[in-house]
Amino acid sequence: MTNNSFVKALFAGSIEQDLIFPYPKMDKEEEENLKLILDTVRQFAKDNIDSVAIDRDETIPKEVLQGLAEIGLFGMSIPEEYGGSGFSTTAYNRVFEEIGSIDGSLAVTLGGHQSIGLKALLLHGTEEQKKKYLPKLASGEWIAAFALTEPGAGSDAAGIQSLAVKDVQKGHYVLNGSKIWITNGGIADFFTVFAKTPVGESGEKKISALAVTRDMEGFSSGKEERKLGIHGSSTTELIFDNIKVPVENLIGPEGKGFKVAMEVLNSGRLGLAAGCAGGIKTLIRMSVDHAKNRKQFNTPIAEFEMIQGKITKMVVDVFVLESMVYLTTGLIDRGDIDYSIESSICKVYASEAVWNAVNEAMQIAGGIGYSKEYPYERALRDARINLIFEGTNEVLRAFIALAGMQEHGEYLKKVGKALQHPLNEMGVLTDYALHRIKKRVATERLADVHEALKNEVGKFEEYAKELHLATEKVLSKYRKQIIHREFILNRLADMTIDLYAMIAVISRVDSLLKEKGEKKTHKQLTICKTFCEEAWRRIRRNARQVDNNIDPWRKEISTDACEANGYQFDWVD
Amino acid sequence: MKIIVCMKQVPVKDSLLKITDDGSWVHETDLNYEINESDHYALEEALRLKEAHSGEVVLLSMGPERVREAIKQGLAKGADRAIHIDNSSFTTQDPFVNARVLAAAIKREEFDLVLSGLQTDDYGSAQTGVILAENLGVPSATIVMEIQKQNGGIKVKRELESGWFQWVELPLPSLLTIQSGINQIRYATIKGIMMAKKKEIKALGLSELGLSESDVEEGQTGLVFSKIYVPEKTKKTEIFEGDPREVAQKLADKLKNEAKVI
Repeated sequence: MTNNSFVKALFAGSIEQDLIFPYPKMDKEEEENLKLILDTVRQFAKDNIDSVAIDRDETIPKEVLQGLAEIGLFGMSIPEEYGGSGFSTTAYNRVFEEIGSIDGSLAVTLGGHQSIGLKALLLHGTEEQKKKYLPKLASGEWIAAFALTEPGAGSDAAGIQSLAVKDVQKGHYVLNGSKIWITNGGIADFFTVFAKTPVGESGEKKISALAVTRDMEGFSSGKEERKLGIHGSSTTELIFDNIKVPVENLIGPEGKGFKVAMEVLNSGRLGLAAGCAGGIKTLIRMSVDHAKNRKQFNTPIAEFEMIQGKITKMVVDVFVLESMVYLTTGLIDRGDIDYSIESSICKVYASEAVWNAVNEAMQIAGGIGYSKEYPYERALRDARINLIFEGTNEVLRAFIALAGMQEHGEYLKKVGKALQHPLNEMGVLTDYALHRIKKRVATERLADVHEALKNEVGKFEEYAKELHLATEKVLSKYRKQIIHREFILNRLADMTIDLYAMIAVISRVDSLLKEKGEKKTHKQLTICKTFCEEAWRRIRRNARQVDNNIDPWRKEISTDACEANGYQFDWVD
Repeated sequence: MKIIVCMKQVPVKDSLLKITDDGSWVHETDLNYEINESDHYALEEALRLKEAHSGEVVLLSMGPERVREAIKQGLAKGADRAIHIDNSSFTTQDPFVNARVLAAAIKREEFDLVLSGLQTDDYGSAQTGVILAENLGVPSATIVMEIQKQNGGIKVKRELESGWFQWVELPLPSLLTIQSGINQIRYATIKGIMMAKKKEIKALGLSELGLSESDVEEGQTGLVFSKIYVPEKTKKTEIFEGDPREVAQKLADKLKNEAKVI
């Protein structure tokens, strides 16, 4: 079974090694340019960006945004013919990582503009739409925003209520409704708005994407939301009151807006993950600096093993995260790839790793970490949103497991049907039989991986098989009901995340070993081994608990609490 | 106006320096490099002059392969082309020799103005610029803070001491060494960085410059670097004991005659 998603193939029991080996490498010239761009971004940040002021004043100064626009950071992903720089996905995300290492508000603002705000236009815009809007967006004259979430539709994005009714004679849609939590809502001029449109003769309401601009009559944005963190980013409500949106502003096919939104978010999640990697690197720098200089019991606290454990976790996490993000962006740059699950994995891993890092950095800093005079508390407030936006980690875990199983489920369904008409469906059955035999006789193997990674490769192969077996098991046990077995989905998702992380570090370190030799790759190899040792044990535990678990008890306790409207066992009656 | 900017790549300012065992220089392998600060201001000044009066900005840099990074940065900021003299075979710390090599490269070009930084952040001798002007046979002005173009020449503001400045008029061609901080250095733009690859970087060796190995030999001018070392700590604490009156007298004497602070 072939597939152009590594992870989807993994669920189906096959290791598509060609997709991820060798680890993607940027060409030399692009890498040199990237280095210069990163230098520029760092220098600009050093001279101009005051995160304390951005947080306190709840805004990013205009001059800062203008300066970044002049450098060209608003049009990195836009092709040169529309005034941008036409970066590869890898280069774009690496620059975005740098922005994430500088300031959370800034990363969210630029991500809202570029990773998601104008992405639908890039992916599905017509030539006219691109010519009309992209140059302004590339130069930073206009900022873009992505408008999907509504009061009644967060994780359940398909449930949006905004309505755009086409008036064929007048050549426009009439758009009504509202959006909430829109990043850049107060500062953007261009909005990718998702609304339901009656489609076809039946008039069935399906989601479509529309290009809406601030200057359209009937458009307004609400007051700035007061948030826990990312204070400098703009977040508002949007109100659409009988806006006449020209029909030529439809982005992508009518009624296919949900697919457009998901595609945009797939790429957005990678940017978010890259930004988190930057944030973790900053936190490591802060933590190491503090741990080396802070002495207790006449010893720098960096010498205490409990502190070392925290620093190690941060370093391993960011190495793994980098490996996954730039493996995925490398795959995208190679072309024609389904990376929906992979980007979700990166987002989940990244947001949890940055949250852990900020927590540990604060712990290493001790009392001062809790003080408003130091940057830890701001970092903590800024980092928290990553677990929530661009798909909560819960909905993404469900997605990772379900989307991974889906194709294999379809395939099994075909096999089921074929069994009813065995004579007509010999092909499917032979295929299935071969597949079963292959699975029973031999585990899928990785070939030609460096000898130093033998152990890790073995574990990956072993547990890749476990994921496939678990998939078949739960599909045959729960069938369609699997969608409601979230304790199980959660485990499958965690197994998948660990497996993708393992293969990403293995591929990266394998390439390093082959290029530079074992001696020069010793440090990276140690990180890889450290991660894999922990990962396969987690996978094993999760695999065992697919069958053997206490899920019914956990369900019961939660249901009880909900029925009792809270905690019901206070020892004082 | 055709301007040549001499630009050196030096270790990043807050680098942790490790001196080589023989004390001849620092270990270079672990260092990061940047454009020498005052050279960076010289480049910015050249770009501004070009924008105001049109012309060409040519970068000239001497150093090993790594200086191409600095050259690319300069090209990304708007310089039109560059000359790279690879000095791996004749690295010398003598400003006289360096100026001779730079002069040989500049003489191949027609130019109106040569700009360099006031001094480099590594050796800091502030000699190369003025010796270069002598080699080229053009007038020079040092510690320049402002440049105004006039008919047939330029008028420059020089920094003297104690807040004093001096305006000097020079004909063209001439050479100026630029003081740090006189303008605001621009950031390379992404477009500039991507366009830089299309710009010419001409590599020149000694033979192309018409020089022989004896021209760049170390020690020929009598300048020899014998040893580089970290300043030795000479802090010494002296404790006076005894009758407070006598101790106070001793202390006053020391402060007055030895430390010379009162």
